[in-house]
Amino acid sequence: MKANLTRRELLRLLAGAGLGTAFASRVVADEITAAPKSAPVPESKLVPLAERPRYPATLVGGRVIQPERPLKVVQETDVLVVGGGPAGFAAAVASARIGVKTTLVERYGYFGGQWTGGLVLVVISSHAKENGQLVKVLRGVGDELLERLTKIDSAVVNQAPGKFNPTTDPEATKFMMDEMIREAGVKVFLHCWVADVVMDGSVLRGVVFESKAGRQAILAKVVVDATGDGDVFAAAGAEHEQRLHAIGLVHRVGNADRTDAAKLKAAGVKALGSLEPLPSVKWVNLRGPSTDCLDVAELTRLEMEHRRSIWQRVQQLRKTPGGEGLFLLQTAPQLGVRISRLLAGTHQLTYAEAREGRKFADAVAVGGAQNAQHRGWPIPFGAMVPKKLEGLLAAGRCICVDEKLIEDMRLIASCLTTGHAAGTAAALSVQTGCRPREVEMAKLQKLLLGQGAYLG
Amino acid sequence: MAALCRDAATAFQHGEPVSGPNHEEPRRDRLRLAGRWLVLIAAVALAWPLRKESSTSVFLPALSPYVALCSTLAVRSLTVLTLLAVPVLLLVLFSPRWFCRHGCPVGLLQEWVERLRPATSARWQQVPPIGKWLALLTLGGACLGYPLFQWLDPLALFNGFLNAWRQPLAAASLLTGLGLPVLLVLDLVFPRLWCQRVCPLGATQELLAWPRRWRRRSTRCEMEAGGELPCARGFSLARRGFLAACLGGAGAFALRVIRKPMPPLRPPGSLGEGGFTGVCIRCGNCAQACPSRIIQPDFGASGVAGLLTPVLRFEEDYCREDCHRCNEVCPSGAIARLSLAAKRRRVIGPAEVNVETCLLANGRECTACIKRCPYEAITLHSADGGFSTLPRVALGRCTGCGACEAVCPVRPRRAIRVVARPGELAEG
Repeated sequence: MKANLTRRELLRLLAGAGLGTAFASRVVADEITAAPKSAPVPESKLVPLAERPRYPATLVGGRVIQPERPLKVVQETDVLVVGGGPAGFAAAVASARIGVKTTLVERYGYFGGQWTGGLVLVVISSHAKENGQLVKVLRGVGDELLERLTKIDSAVVNQAPGKFNPTTDPEATKFMMDEMIREAGVKVFLHCWVADVVMDGSVLRGVVFESKAGRQAILAKVVVDATGDGDVFAAAGAEHEQRLHAIGLVHRVGNADRTDAAKLKAAGVKALGSLEPLPSVKWVNLRGPSTDCLDVAELTRLEMEHRRSIWQRVQQLRKTPGGEGLFLLQTAPQLGVRISRLLAGTHQLTYAEAREGRKFADAVAVGGAQNAQHRGWPIPFGAMVPKKLEGLLAAGRCICVDEKLIEDMRLIASCLTTGHAAGTAAALSVQTGCRPREVEMAKLQKLLLGQGAYLG
Repeated sequence: MAALCRDAATAFQHGEPVSGPNHEEPRRDRLRLAGRWLVLIAAVALAWPLRKESSTSVFLPALSPYVALCSTLAVRSLTVLTLLAVPVLLLVLFSPRWFCRHGCPVGLLQEWVERLRPATSARWQQVPPIGKWLALLTLGGACLGYPLFQWLDPLALFNGFLNAWRQPLAAASLLTGLGLPVLLVLDLVFPRLWCQRVCPLGATQELLAWPRRWRRRSTRCEMEAGGELPCARGFSLARRGFLAACLGGAGAFALRVIRKPMPPLRPPGSLGEGGFTGVCIRCGNCAQACPSRIIQPDFGASGVAGLLTPVLRFEEDYCREDCHRCNEVCPSGAIARLSLAAKRRRVIGPAEVNVETCLLANGRECTACIKRCPYEAITLHSADGGFSTLPRVALGRCTGCGACEAVCPVRPRRAIRVVARPGELAEG
């Protein structure tokens, strides 16, 4: 640039710079006002060393030691639901609708767990067969969600009278879960991993969770463990069983309509995948080996190996005559963990009991049949209550069932119904000021029926 | 006494009503009738015991010397049950038709039916003694493992009739009980035809009475010095009888050689398909005793020869691991008398998976059969790099109880099915 500007040139430069600055600041202001109404976040700030207390772990004699430290309590709530999968979602909505302060913590950025993030999609065992008649056992919050999805184009199939095992679109499901959680008035913490529990003697008082904000705590009167893996009751030291199960990875392929089924069949490819609500998309399962989902090295290995084998398979299909247009749409964001920890509850629901359809005085939900081929099996409240630990109810696939019943308990429909029951029971125990295991059964069942649940 | 018996026997053989109004001793006749009513009541009580799990229904058909002889010859094994028929056998050796007159509940029912029809005619007099030929053919067949007409035993028909009413009414069970009503209707039209000309049990008794016949023949031969007529008749009967037995054997051989393309599923411990349809007397005991109601009378699956024989259907239920009722109630030995432990090792046939329709093999998470298997014989097996998982049946453990088939959700044809290949599991 020239060293000496004329006056005119200087004025022109200043005017231009002024206009530019004004425009730029306007844009920034717009962006700030568009952000949530919380305190304005400065674009950048220098964090001085001493401003935030730090408690780094230190090496002491070759061992890594974490020092004792106070945790910030970000929320005090009546009912805290940990895990935003089908069970946690139903529990949070049911609890908030009763009118108690409800908080939901989820480790990923969306609700639905394996249903949406694991791309399981199909809500198996939504129905049972009673005296030759198809009976819907999935009612209440879960069924309401599915019914609302029918109003959206290409969001759900098989959700109609006479049909069973509805299959949903994951994005529509996530959206509708957000809507229902918001409407129910649940306080939500996404991207928060529960790391530990807050204990007061033998009573669970809250959880400690880890997020980008660091380690923080939420205190609650009752905690619903809907983590699936039983992370909360395990951390609280409740008696439980640890099992291995197959861990797979689901994927979806796109452009299925453009492939030539006859040619593919001639080349030995039976089907590209199963039914999906979305056009031209097919769903493919990969069951995977039986292993321990609590071993992070194993999870890492599986995630990478599964993804490689899926990639190679789709590439192989693309090279097969007739399969040229096919593409890999998506691998599931979450590994397909089926079972890990099972609570030792006050009642262990067994396969034999489920098979004979045994009635329970404390039945709070009914499980269905995988393809509606047998009668429903009442699920007792006792299967959700820990033997000794106070202040916690379990919901979803980690409740107290025997080895053979796992395959039915881990299905989405059973998670939705047990979640609904656990949420309502937790809210009721807060309202009546009793321990969760002491809730009045007649009152709980009446409440559940009032919310549209099915108890057999 | 002996003379009286002989009179009665000859009267019976010549078609005169045994309990006629013109009988000399009415008091004695009444006593005999009372005795026969007692027998009928006892027969009904045996075939239809008050306790459902009682297995007394096995005794009545087992009393028949016809069934006992033919079964023992065909199965080539002697069971405790066979011994039941021994007293009856010994009695008829010396007193032909003794069982007909005192022990047969069907005979009494026929007499009772006859009273509904006063006028008696002898339209059947020209009918040859079919029963004798039936019995001989069956005995001959039994020697080759296939007693052709064993199912015509009147006690089996009686049992079958009662069993048809003991279970929930169904067309199939009613059909198995049709034998006795048919006999009674036949009796209305042709009085006593069945008892004196057709019944193979009656004919067996006559054939068995050789010591008495032999004694009579020898005395007559002594009396009539020439002795041409009775002796000659006895000889010709023996030759014809031998020929009939040979014919029966040939028929049995033919039936055994003709193989069915798909053998049906039989109750555990059943005889091989070659002899089963012959030895089975269609008494309906096994179907009645089965608590799971999987034993049903067959219509066509095992051919004409196997009509109404028991076959297994696993649509609704399966062969329970804590049950061997069918093994306890078979009077003919078509189903072996097995202990519970032995029955649990007996293989009906292995379960086979159709991977084309199996939900698990097609990416669906169905493990219904694996969970249900009482013998833990089905395991998961990963294939295609983990993309497909198949249920695999361990042949050393699977007994073919059908629990997997009953629980399989695939319709209309189940994805896992038991196929008939009977065998035995290794010990332990």
